[in-house]
Amino acid sequence: MGDITTEQPIIEIRNLSKHFDDFEALRDITLDVHRSEVLCLIGPSGSGKSTLLRCINFLEAYDGGEVRLEGELIGWKSAGAPPRKPLSGEALRRQRQHIGMVFQQFNLWPHLTALENVAEALIHVKGLPKAEAMTKARAALAKVNLSDKEANFPANLSGGQQQRVAIARAIAMEPSVMLFDEPTSALDPELVGEVLGVMKQMAAEGMTMVVVTHEMGFAAHVADRVAFLEGGRLVTCAPPADIFGREPDDPRVNAFLKTYRERNVV
Amino acid sequence: MELDLFVRYGPALLSGFGVTILCWIVGSLGGLVLGFALACLYRFGPRPLRWLIQAYVEVIRGTPFMIQLFILYFGGPHFGLLLTPVQAGIASFIIYGSPYFAEIFRSGFNAIPKGQIEAARCVGLSEGRILFRIILPQMLVPTTAPLTNFFIILTKETAILSVVTVPELLYETQTMASETFTFVEPFLVLSLFYWLMVIGTSWLGDKVERRVTRHLRRA
Amino acid sequence: MNFSFDVIWHNLPYMLAAARWTLLISVGGMAISLVWGVFLCAARISRGPFLSRIAALYISFFRGVPLLVQLLIFYYMLPHVGLDLPAVAAAILAVGMCSAAYTAEILRGALQTIPRGQTEAALALGIPTLSLWRRILVPQAIRIGLPSLTNELILLVKVSSLASVVGIGELTRISQNITGETYRPLEIYVAAAAIYFLINVILSALGRLAENRLLVG
Ligand SMILES: Nc1ncnc2c1ncn2[C@@H]1O[C@H](COP(=O)(O)OP(=O)(O)OP(=O)(O)O)[C@@H](O)[C@H]1O
Ligand SMILES: [Mg+2]
Repeated sequence: MGDITTEQPIIEIRNLSKHFDDFEALRDITLDVHRSEVLCLIGPSGSGKSTLLRCINFLEAYDGGEVRLEGELIGWKSAGAPPRKPLSGEALRRQRQHIGMVFQQFNLWPHLTALENVAEALIHVKGLPKAEAMTKARAALAKVNLSDKEANFPANLSGGQQQRVAIARAIAMEPSVMLFDEPTSALDPELVGEVLGVMKQMAAEGMTMVVVTHEMGFAAHVADRVAFLEGGRLVTCAPPADIFGREPDDPRVNAFLKTYRERNVV
Repeated sequence: MELDLFVRYGPALLSGFGVTILCWIVGSLGGLVLGFALACLYRFGPRPLRWLIQAYVEVIRGTPFMIQLFILYFGGPHFGLLLTPVQAGIASFIIYGSPYFAEIFRSGFNAIPKGQIEAARCVGLSEGRILFRIILPQMLVPTTAPLTNFFIILTKETAILSVVTVPELLYETQTMASETFTFVEPFLVLSLFYWLMVIGTSWLGDKVERRVTRHLRRA
Repeated sequence: MNFSFDVIWHNLPYMLAAARWTLLISVGGMAISLVWGVFLCAARISRGPFLSRIAALYISFFRGVPLLVQLLIFYYMLPHVGLDLPAVAAAILAVGMCSAAYTAEILRGALQTIPRGQTEAALALGIPTLSLWRRILVPQAIRIGLPSLTNELILLVKVSSLASVVGIGELTRISQNITGETYRPLEIYVAAAAIYFLINVILSALGRLAENRLLVG
């Protein structure tokens, strides 16, 4: 890639669209994510937040437009109008190594211990020798404050701990960006804090993050920019101060945030 | 009970038991492998292949084992397939069991949350690795009990092989019964042998099940 | 190799006639299985330890020994104990007695899904145990267990082929006889397989129809 200027966004999304059969889930989305930036995606249920996130690592094959990671087109062999040819499995796997993802439902592999969950891809994707992989995996677990739980199976971890293992599994691969899809929505309220704490720390260390969340406090205080989606369209993307200010420009954002204001969350 | 009867027929009964075990193990393991292959093809193969597999499953499950055995053993020579009774027995056993195994594995595949596979793709694991490291070990959890159950069902189906003169347990027992004009004793022994197989299989199944669900037990 | 449809065509009437015996054995067996299965199930879950133990033993024996063996035992033993039944009756009885062990377990599984509160409500109303079973529990259990019971019936159609071993002229036996005369085993057995398959397709369609009816009713 050569000379990476600070101006070049790490993720470039251009005129992205996605259909599920006849249903248009995303329409003409254009959005950049810069290095070390935390971008939060908010919006009503069904607005396409998860779909957008999943297009970034090609868990959903987008059908129009482009997604680029450090200039490289994700998922398809060439840009341009459909029909396009998808990349080979091998090439797609190589791209995905640079994009970490954390899911609402953790999606840990229940038959592997915490440490094995983290080490699996280090050994079998990165091809590290076992000892080195274990060291790296332990370091990742330490980062999420779970050094003492490495031998536990997921069934013997709390939800918050499981989600932190899932984060460790992703960051151990040293991705260039991290995607989070409502990482705290499946957690009991008292466990939300420990996960958000880890995410804040990652943000402070300069990780590039795209976070779908309903935690407006997190969006307001940690995000650099907040994107608001509705009906598959990007309504606005602005610094949190503009979004969460008393009177946002857009009435749709206003209506959405009203419910949160009434609960004094923001 | 006349013990000398069993001294005389013991070896034959034991050899019959051996043949039963052989046909059962080779036949059902073969069926297991074929069934697994079918389930994989069903999951990953193109659509026309799916229909073909579905049809195969329905037809084999909709017809009696004995008829399948007859088609293979008596009908085989008509298309150049000459099999000994034991060969025909084992081959038809493999065919007969495969669709049931395939269905068990198919539902096993479906029992694994999609998110886990997505998570594996996200970190770049290959599809083969996902199959053998993520899907298979977990598939054992919901499938062990039905698999054990079906192995037990198959122990009993082996008796049908006697009809094409496979010298298995029932065949030897009937020989003994007709030659000695005794009935109760040989059939009691026979029941004992089958019972042993059933008990042994369910014991093994329990062991395996405890092993594969280890990770689900809460400490 | 030449596959002759002529042979099938010529012998089809005999085979279809024989298929009636196949149906008789399986449907008759199922009838015995249902009635006897209800009693077994009741015994199995009864509080009396003796009755429950006996039922459990019965179930494990009949599920643990090959049906072909049971059939032979019935066929050879019944005359010994002075019960001279025609072969078909012996076969139906054997099939039914064996199947009852499975039916009992199907019903037991179904009963477990009926909320305990229903029984308590009935008892609280003073409904006698017998009517509780006859009018409330059994009909529901059969409804819930219907898919499994349909499966059991289809299984019986297939196992009825075992009756050929004791010389009953059902579909498999007649196919064997025809094969002996025509020396065309491939054609005849494929045709037999097709008839079995057809019967099962029809029965499972009927089963699904019954399920829908019962769900509505
Ligand atoms: N695989 C799919 N097939 C068909 N429709 C889908 C699929 N996935 C998502 N959709 C539809 O696309 C729209 C956007 O879904 P998406 O999951 O992206 O919403 P979201 O903003 O993440 O909502 P939530 O806050 O509830 O998670 C929804 O209307 C959804 O029903
Ligand atoms: Mg979502």
